[in-house]
Amino acid sequence: MLRRYGPKFVVLVVLISLLIGGIGTSAAQGQVTIRFFHKWPEPEHMDYYNWVIEEFEKAYPNIKIEMEAVADEPYKDKIRVVMASGDVPDIFFSWAGEFSWKFARAGRALPLDEYVYGTDWENDLIMSATVPYQWDGKLYGLPMRINAKFMVYNKEHFEKYGLSAPTTWDEFLAVCATLKENKVIPIAFGNEFPWASSHYVGDFNAKLVPGDVIAADYLLQGEADTLFTHPGYVEALARFKLLNDEGYFNEGANALQHSLARASFIAGRAGMFYMELEEFQQVADQMGADAFGFFPFPSGTGGEGDQNLLTGAPDGFMVSAETKHPEEAITFLRFMLSPERGAEYVRMLGIPSAVAGAVNEETALPIVVAGVEAINQASGMALWLDTDIDIRIVEVYLPGMQALLTGSESPESIMAKVHEAAVKIQAELAQEG
Amino acid sequence: MPGFEWTRFKRSLTPYMFLLPALVFMVVFIYQPIVQSFRYSLYKWSAFSASESWKYVGLDNYTRVIEDDIFYTSIVNNIWYAVISVAVQVCFGLVLAALLESQILPRLYNLVFRTALFLPSVLAVTIVGITWQLVYSPATGLINQLLEYAGLEAFKRTWLGEEGTAIFAIIGVSQWQWTGYIMILFVVAIQAIPHELYEAARIDGANGIQQFFHITVPGVRQTFLVMSTITVIGAFQVFDIVWVMTAGGPNHASETLGNYLYRVGFRNDEMGYASALATVMFLITFVLSFVQLRLGGGIQQQEAH
Amino acid sequence: MARLQHAGRRAARQPLDRYRARQLFTQLIVLSLFVVLTVIAIYPMIWVVTNSLKSDVDLFEQTWAFPKEPRWQNYERAWQFGIGRYIINSVIVTAASVVGTAIISTMAAYALARYRFRGQTFLLFFILGGLMLAPQVTLIPLFRTLVKLGIYNTYLALILPYIAFGIPFSTFLIRAYVMGLPRELEEAAFIDGAGPWGVFLRVIVPLSRPVIASAMVIEAMRAWNEFMFALTFIESDKLRTLTIGISAFQSTLRAEYTVVMAGLAIAAIPMILVFLIAQGQLIRGLTAGSLKG
Repeated sequence: MLRRYGPKFVVLVVLISLLIGGIGTSAAQGQVTIRFFHKWPEPEHMDYYNWVIEEFEKAYPNIKIEMEAVADEPYKDKIRVVMASGDVPDIFFSWAGEFSWKFARAGRALPLDEYVYGTDWENDLIMSATVPYQWDGKLYGLPMRINAKFMVYNKEHFEKYGLSAPTTWDEFLAVCATLKENKVIPIAFGNEFPWASSHYVGDFNAKLVPGDVIAADYLLQGEADTLFTHPGYVEALARFKLLNDEGYFNEGANALQHSLARASFIAGRAGMFYMELEEFQQVADQMGADAFGFFPFPSGTGGEGDQNLLTGAPDGFMVSAETKHPEEAITFLRFMLSPERGAEYVRMLGIPSAVAGAVNEETALPIVVAGVEAINQASGMALWLDTDIDIRIVEVYLPGMQALLTGSESPESIMAKVHEAAVKIQAELAQEG
Repeated sequence: MPGFEWTRFKRSLTPYMFLLPALVFMVVFIYQPIVQSFRYSLYKWSAFSASESWKYVGLDNYTRVIEDDIFYTSIVNNIWYAVISVAVQVCFGLVLAALLESQILPRLYNLVFRTALFLPSVLAVTIVGITWQLVYSPATGLINQLLEYAGLEAFKRTWLGEEGTAIFAIIGVSQWQWTGYIMILFVVAIQAIPHELYEAARIDGANGIQQFFHITVPGVRQTFLVMSTITVIGAFQVFDIVWVMTAGGPNHASETLGNYLYRVGFRNDEMGYASALATVMFLITFVLSFVQLRLGGGIQQQEAH
Repeated sequence: MARLQHAGRRAARQPLDRYRARQLFTQLIVLSLFVVLTVIAIYPMIWVVTNSLKSDVDLFEQTWAFPKEPRWQNYERAWQFGIGRYIINSVIVTAASVVGTAIISTMAAYALARYRFRGQTFLLFFILGGLMLAPQVTLIPLFRTLVKLGIYNTYLALILPYIAFGIPFSTFLIRAYVMGLPRELEEAAFIDGAGPWGVFLRVIVPLSRPVIASAMVIEAMRAWNEFMFALTFIESDKLRTLTIGISAFQSTLRAEYTVVMAGLAIAAIPMILVFLIAQGQLIRGLTAGSLKG
């Protein structure tokens, strides 16, 4: 009987050892491998990055780029897991603002000043987009692309009902009311992941609360008693709630994905949609570039904040402080963030690159060029709320916004909780020194 | 006779040799981490921080658990999960199995139904989760459309987007996926009951319901306990389907302990607090299964025999 | 039994055709119950398949209708995403952990069922205690352990923990079965001069095949469906298992809903096929497992 089972056992053992043995990957001699981790696994984006890598490896045969990508929402967890594993990629994506400063604070990111300042790279980049990657006077990240949020509208609906792009909050509400009367969903909205509402609230905040107050609150540098207590914050949530309570959003926004909301805008079911410049190309492809227009969201009329701000942030890359090959990593970034590759980025994806002059009539749709123009004319950017404040406050603030939509929380009660959380975290941070 | 002594010694080692691999695996991958987890819970640390910068905070993380509203929401959701799962998967599953085995329906039907009801359980949980997201979708989803069709517009909901319904929508999906699976296990258990018992009862004129309570239920008692244990423990460990469908939202309304733990640890960078939640979860599931085994006499009874 | 006899007398008094009518009625009720349940179990899958052949706009406008003309390019696009790779990864991880669990658990079950030794009760509880431990509890430390062992982000990062968490239940199941086996065969083998390993391989393993099969089926389903470890311990797209691959696929292609559905269909079809083909063995295995007990 042993003989009967013997062979099977052997096969098994061989299989298992093959499996285990097959796992280790061999690295070629004398070659440097740079690991590159980002959040754009979409095929169109991967096409671009594969192209860049191919070109790069041709130009630098001794450097090999190993790319890994996970989508936006999972990236938020994955990058933390990877950091915790100690097995950090040499180059990794990070949102601007607090999200990136956290890496800088923990000493996990490499300062990049010496590689950028005083070199010709400085002329190739839109340097204003590096600002949100600066922490404690040093530069920790390089922008790949610039982005901002605009309200887009369906031209056909607007024409049909005699509407024009609103410039004040009241005009905006009037537009919504007209659309609703005519059985068109005024604003397509998908809030399954609450970052979608945080973009609204972030915009309201920026325009309803004075800039210095916001800065002090977001960075937890204000007096403990005053954190997040400016009445503008409550007003911001109240305005957001108003859009919901008046029925200006589609039904079931909390269970709808942003992309499905976009699909419903494209299908002509909704009059407006709050979306990012990077989505323009995609919408234009599906609905026609002339079918929609955009305007800055007039969310803050009458508020104490800067009305000329746009909500948005650059997306960019950081270099790990633990990298064994900083020079090679920088070489790759330099190669990618250059006029030629930047222009190709715009051409292939229709998304504004952070490389200076990459967006022009030749590379991009007129509406995208106009969007970049609008960014340049804005007095500044209000960063994404969900990546610009401490994650532990985000975890109170964002679910609060979902609760606001379902009616189980009021603007006042949410801000009270946010205040409480902020005070606690400020104290903890102070304790840690 | 030294040879004999040696053989005896060797023989006394035999059971340990057989157990060794299992023990090594369990120590390295289960028990060691659990002990570590308790240690981790006494510190404040994040995924980013090197172990030198860990801060000892004693039982602070546990006081925080007690004061944490979301923790209680999670526990309540886990309890709902357990209660509904035992009622539907185990109890209803047993009834279905008994109906199938009672030969009320022709054999061919039996086979078709068994196959169909078992089918959802072979699907990966993400496939199920995403499918049901679509089914629950407010405007185009199956459920709301059905309600509209039936003239029950008043009952239309944003199933996964409302605080009152989200967790139940998820629990429903679990029932959909697993009832058929547990039913099959009961079918197997019922088939193990000696046929003579049923025949005798039939000769005595017992009807189906009587046979169910007097023969089937006692006959599958052991399976029933095992299934209930597994289901309740599973309910307190649930993570995947929740993470896929709502990730705990809206406003933490569908948070379960497993989901919350993951979120706190890997999203909020509070590994210490997550470890404290893990310890609490350990205590809950441990106590629960202990009580249940005790009540059912599971292991003890087998010991006796 | 008194109650049963009483019921029997009552039944005997009933006229035959009334009895038949009642039987028919019961049959009808049971039949419709199962038909409804079957529709509930199956329809969502059919719905996904029909919609996977539509355009996104049609998905919005007419969820219910059959696709006008099937858009097979949805499937093409979904396939390009490497779902095949995810399936292979899942097969590798599942197969390795199932085999590992079965071998280790059968050995442990044999020792616990047939030997008397010091610490037996303790070791029994030590192993079965694993049933009471949530994988979540171990997540964070296990993650660090795997990093230290240098197997984070490899197949082994999933296989080894899967085996560990599979042992308690499989051992529980197999031990109960082995305890119910008659000892005569083992004794005969001992008399024939077989050592413990000989008895184990020649008597215990063959006799326990049905229950080992059941344990393997259960472990396979668990490993195939596992989500949390796969989410945390694997980073590379190349190594992702199906559960994680599909969710990555969905979060990447959120915008293209019908393509996501096509991907779901592709991912589900092999599993359904395997089940339909192996169904006989599966259920026979489970059945044999307890019938012979």
